[in-house]
Amino acid sequence: MTAVELEFPIPPGLGADRSPEDRGIARDAVRLLVSDGPHDKDRSFHDLPEILEPGDLLVVNESATIPASLAAEASFGRIVVNLSTRYGRDLWLVEPRWGPGAPGPLPLAVGDRLDLAGTGAELVAPFPGVPRLWFLRTDGDLSTTIATFGQPIRYGYLARSYPLDRYQTLFARVPGSAEMPSAGGPFTDRLVRRLQERGVRVVSIVLHTGVSSLEVGDAAPGAVPVYPEPFEVPAATVSAIAETRRSGGRVVAVGTTVVRALESSTESGLLRPTRGFTRLYLHSTQPTRTVDGILTGFHDGRSTHLELLAAVAGSAVVRRSYRHAVGSGYLWHEFGDAQLLWAASSPRGASLSA
Amino acid sequence: MTPPARVAVVTGASRGLGAMIAGFLSSEGFALVLTARGGAALSERLLSLRAPGRPVEGVVGDVSDPAHRREIRQAVDRLGGRVDLLVNNASELGPSPLRPLVEVEVGDLARVYATNVAAPIALVAELGPALRRGHGLIVNITSDAAVGAYARWGPYGASKAALELATRTLAVELREWGVSAVVVDPGDLRTAMHQAAFPGEDISDRPLPEVTLPFWAWLLGQDPSAVNGGRFRAQADRWELPA
Repeated sequence: MTAVELEFPIPPGLGADRSPEDRGIARDAVRLLVSDGPHDKDRSFHDLPEILEPGDLLVVNESATIPASLAAEASFGRIVVNLSTRYGRDLWLVEPRWGPGAPGPLPLAVGDRLDLAGTGAELVAPFPGVPRLWFLRTDGDLSTTIATFGQPIRYGYLARSYPLDRYQTLFARVPGSAEMPSAGGPFTDRLVRRLQERGVRVVSIVLHTGVSSLEVGDAAPGAVPVYPEPFEVPAATVSAIAETRRSGGRVVAVGTTVVRALESSTESGLLRPTRGFTRLYLHSTQPTRTVDGILTGFHDGRSTHLELLAAVAGSAVVRRSYRHAVGSGYLWHEFGDAQLLWAASSPRGASLSA
Repeated sequence: MTPPARVAVVTGASRGLGAMIAGFLSSEGFALVLTARGGAALSERLLSLRAPGRPVEGVVGDVSDPAHRREIRQAVDRLGGRVDLLVNNASELGPSPLRPLVEVEVGDLARVYATNVAAPIALVAELGPALRRGHGLIVNITSDAAVGAYARWGPYGASKAALELATRTLAVELREWGVSAVVVDPGDLRTAMHQAAFPGEDISDRPLPEVTLPFWAWLLGQDPSAVNGGRFRAQADRWELPA
């Protein structure tokens, strides 16, 4: 049993199967559920500058999405190889699938050769504990193949495919994510301008996300096999967070990746600039004090993301707000609605009245 | 004319972590010198790795034996006389089942130290010129037992603690040659050695050695001088360069 004890299928009709643009609304017009200790309040993402206060700090992920899905040829037929994470020049963690809505299993074995749009590759080993993920060694640098033939990774719940730019956030600067760091998705130029006018600063980290959040399943806390992802927390972000804390402002992570990056850069309670790989797994039983709030989308009922939200805001708030979200018809997935969760320890309390 | 392949030496390469590292290095294009005590298991590993353009030499023997170390050097010389990477992985756990330190025979203690401390240092000495030519990286495999004081792990833990200090010393002393040295704690893995430490117990909850693949890819992607003197945990929550 997970500590969040949230296990539900996404209710019919609540999975966003199209991008906001396709639903006829601006990116920053998605709904925003603001949740703290006692309250859930229905707002619009457009209201964010009024919900935050002067002196608050947003930390965003500048990782850009790469077209990580490649058509591939295996000995038994055509498959899709979704690139997750690059570890060396030619070593990747990948998820081979039949297609967007058909994960497998596939009849694969160590040593099997694949053809990725003309580039040869060999399966090195399955990722221990996660049989659907494999280490893949390519015969040469994949960059050109990705740029020429890659498509954004897409899952079966989307009604159609979109070009890569639909998967880029306003903050996208450093290519490397297999899947969009989607919490940044609703930000637009005009919204960021209003945030700046309000006195809310925006700083950044980079964390390249691999393929979707692993299921918690029945694994014990700490025993969930999480693969390492590359990240960087720059010195400017470390000082901005320190200044915000000194002046009593709140630090709000835009996305679960930001919490993981900041937590991975914290040693004995002290945040410092860091560059490396992280496989840190945040769990509801180990509350984090790294951030005062998190802006995020709505996540699957059995994912490590929910545990992370609970580590920030507490299990009770996550449970209650998800019931509210289901009842109020919020939309799930990367193109869906958004949520702002405040930590109980947030210095200004939760300013739901704003 | 293709550039000469980088050369790696891996001790204890017939099984477990060493075999996994050898396979990874082979796919990275390294020419390999692999060693192990068990000839049959080593032959099997060599067969699985032998491929056109990827020279693999096998040397059967015990790393604590000077004659064996000389044979390793001769194999390196046959591959061009330079070493880019030396992985001192062969280790001696001590008598199984593990027992309290005061109940360990002095002879067993000496054997553990000979394999885990003296042999890696002696192999660095034997391969010194070759390491210097390759601006090589020395990777000495350690354990969390080198840091924590775990009951019954005394011989192994103390030997690995000694190896760690020796490695940091090598990192300082060999820097002027352009040779770097690190220790790597692979974490608990489902291997024969780990089983020997827990005889009769089910260790199937420990991950296979492949779980450390991203770490090795990351480590080899770094400039050796940037990691020199570092201690890394391959299954840590994060890896970063030493400050």
